[in-house]
Amino acid sequence: MKKLFLLFLGLALISGYALAEELEYFQVHTPQAGMNVDEVMQIENFVKYTKFCHDTKMSGKAYFIDKSGFVREKETARMRITLGRKSDDMAYKDIVMFTSPQVKGLAALTWTYMDPKRQNDSWLWIPSLRKIRKISAANNDDSFMGSDFSVEDITTRRFEDETYTLLKEENFPGYTCEFDKQTYYKDAPSYVIECRPKKSPWYYSKRILWVDKNTGGGFYEEKYDPKDKMFMTIFKKFEIFKVNGKDYPTQVILEGKDLRTGHRTVIVNDNIKFDQGLSEELFSERTLMQTRW
Amino acid sequence: MRSFLAILIALLLVSPVYANDKLTLSGYLKNETSLRINHLNGDLTKEKNIVELSGEYKIKGDELVFFTRARYWYDAAYDARAKLDPAQHYMGHVQRTDWLRDCYLDYNKDAWFLRLGKQQVAWGQADGIAILDRVNPVDLSEYWLPDLQDIRIPLWMANINYTPKLNSNLQFLFIPDFEQSTSAPIGAPFTFYSYTRYDNWRKAQLAMGSTVDENIYFPGKKLENSTFGLQWSDRIGDMDYTLNYLYGFYYSARNTTILAAGSGGPLSSWKVDRAFKRYQMYGASFNKSFTNSGPMQGITLRGDFALYKDEPTYIGDPTIASAKRIARWDNVFWLIGADRYIFTKYMLSMQFSQYILEHAKEKSKGLPAAQQYPMNAYTYGYADQVENIFTIKLSTQFMNERLRPEVLWSFTDDNNGRLSPKVNFEIMDNLVLTLGIHYFYGNLYDSNGQFRDENQFYTNLKFSF
Repeated sequence: MKKLFLLFLGLALISGYALAEELEYFQVHTPQAGMNVDEVMQIENFVKYTKFCHDTKMSGKAYFIDKSGFVREKETARMRITLGRKSDDMAYKDIVMFTSPQVKGLAALTWTYMDPKRQNDSWLWIPSLRKIRKISAANNDDSFMGSDFSVEDITTRRFEDETYTLLKEENFPGYTCEFDKQTYYKDAPSYVIECRPKKSPWYYSKRILWVDKNTGGGFYEEKYDPKDKMFMTIFKKFEIFKVNGKDYPTQVILEGKDLRTGHRTVIVNDNIKFDQGLSEELFSERTLMQTRW
Repeated sequence: MRSFLAILIALLLVSPVYANDKLTLSGYLKNETSLRINHLNGDLTKEKNIVELSGEYKIKGDELVFFTRARYWYDAAYDARAKLDPAQHYMGHVQRTDWLRDCYLDYNKDAWFLRLGKQQVAWGQADGIAILDRVNPVDLSEYWLPDLQDIRIPLWMANINYTPKLNSNLQFLFIPDFEQSTSAPIGAPFTFYSYTRYDNWRKAQLAMGSTVDENIYFPGKKLENSTFGLQWSDRIGDMDYTLNYLYGFYYSARNTTILAAGSGGPLSSWKVDRAFKRYQMYGASFNKSFTNSGPMQGITLRGDFALYKDEPTYIGDPTIASAKRIARWDNVFWLIGADRYIFTKYMLSMQFSQYILEHAKEKSKGLPAAQQYPMNAYTYGYADQVENIFTIKLSTQFMNERLRPEVLWSFTDDNNGRLSPKVNFEIMDNLVLTLGIHYFYGNLYDSNGQFRDENQFYTNLKFSF
């Protein structure tokens, strides 16, 4: 159950936070000509964790699809407030509430800090106990709530965790999403960046990441195991949301495929709203305590 | 049953009418089956079918919300097995108003949050051990095996919360309702040994021509007999803490037996009283996750502490299961727990707790030496002055969380405990199968050991909607 929460937390965080301290919060940053690869990746992290917005609300569905085509589905409602507050190191806070019947009532609160070495603080409302439980952070290489994404794919990977090499710039050939059968990013101008983890040995040796030149969003990646064999692909469809005259690049579909098992996880974000003026008080244990299910 | 059906029908009828953002319905159907596996005899000890329906109606957005939850169950095992028949009346189907699990109105505005109605409130950080979690009485008819939300007996109360500053909360509970904690009757799988021993004694006395005068003294239905609770929650640095206070009647009361007339042999008169006593609980809890890098990173520490002032403690002769008086001792229960992921995807959770009685023995009330011992309320065996309790839980997942095994081992320093492995398998989105075993071991007079002949294999099948 805790892992299930973490999955969705991560999804929220996908629109959450990274490290790029040099980049100012609540601004939209996009790649510019002449930027070096580190600058591009700082923006990619910034976009990944939607540090440009003050707050966001959305609902989401996650589909777990095994190689035989059997589908399981989970639904959530999520809220996040971006703080970027140095006084208490607070980057942002998330609340994820599960709404599908089997896990209805499960809710989680997570605080993410600006310090890249610091783990998240997480609380879980467990319906079977009717109680709030503080939970430990999962390992970075663990599966994120049973999905095909790892914990660090979703929540914990920071800009500082990898070294980057620009392999080339190209127009992306396009990706056909297995979920909706649509082809995305065909001929999209992109940076192709090799990301190698500083931690060694690690469960992957490198990621090859395609970053959209227009938005800075990392929309496709291939992950390679320590023997340099590709074992995972991740696709993210970004849409631009116009909010108060700004263009917010936002992940609306994520598709992760484990090439070893044939299992896929698809996450679809919906009803996305930005800058609704959410109060920080919502992101407290008391909100979990009010859960009824 | 009729009331339950009325609620059920009403909820179902209104659902299409208000099928919008205001009304949300949810529920489940569940079958719980268990087999007694001692000596491989395979007695069917539970064949429980449960239906639960919950409804939430937003009267005024999130500011004013009505919520209710109703549950009905029927246990066919009490029809099927003659051995269990004596317990059929209590264990065969839902009792009295227990079908109404929640019924309250939420009011949420600015710093205030009020929950008024029938509900349960859980305090503390302990897993599976009720240290601060004493706001509601408990139904132990299946010992501590069910989920805690099903063990707690909901009460009518006013639950008033005020947030004076970010991340803090002051909670005040006013509980005019009183329900006693319940347990399994004679003849059920998890009947406390103290009950069985008393029942045997009572039957022997009646057979000898003695009389047994049984009396129960409930708290009077007066305002001053209400229960009051207070909890302050806040943070110091990265640590959450609470301060707790509860004032009210102890929800369980055991028998005390006094010889009223005669020699104690045939034709004697006995007076057996069960009286509920008032007590106070002073407590605190904390939790802290070590988030900064270092050797402690990834560990969550949590703890509970409670001082039960004037806690009813039963004094008597454990060799004959006879409590003679209720002492009002200041007992302490505390716990520390740690959780951490080990290797990849294995969550290890450990707890250590101590229940400490104020005295090892009652000396000052003129009781004979053999009758001066504090007694284990479950078995009427000897109670240790310091009971050390350990729990270890290891859980993980496979098949993208479709398969979730877990092992819980709870034990004391008296070589008495329970081992409960289980596995959950998600057949479909809304259909989950649980298979598990409860294995008890230890002395017959210890809390877990008393059920050493009740080891069981169980299955749960739950369909949620």
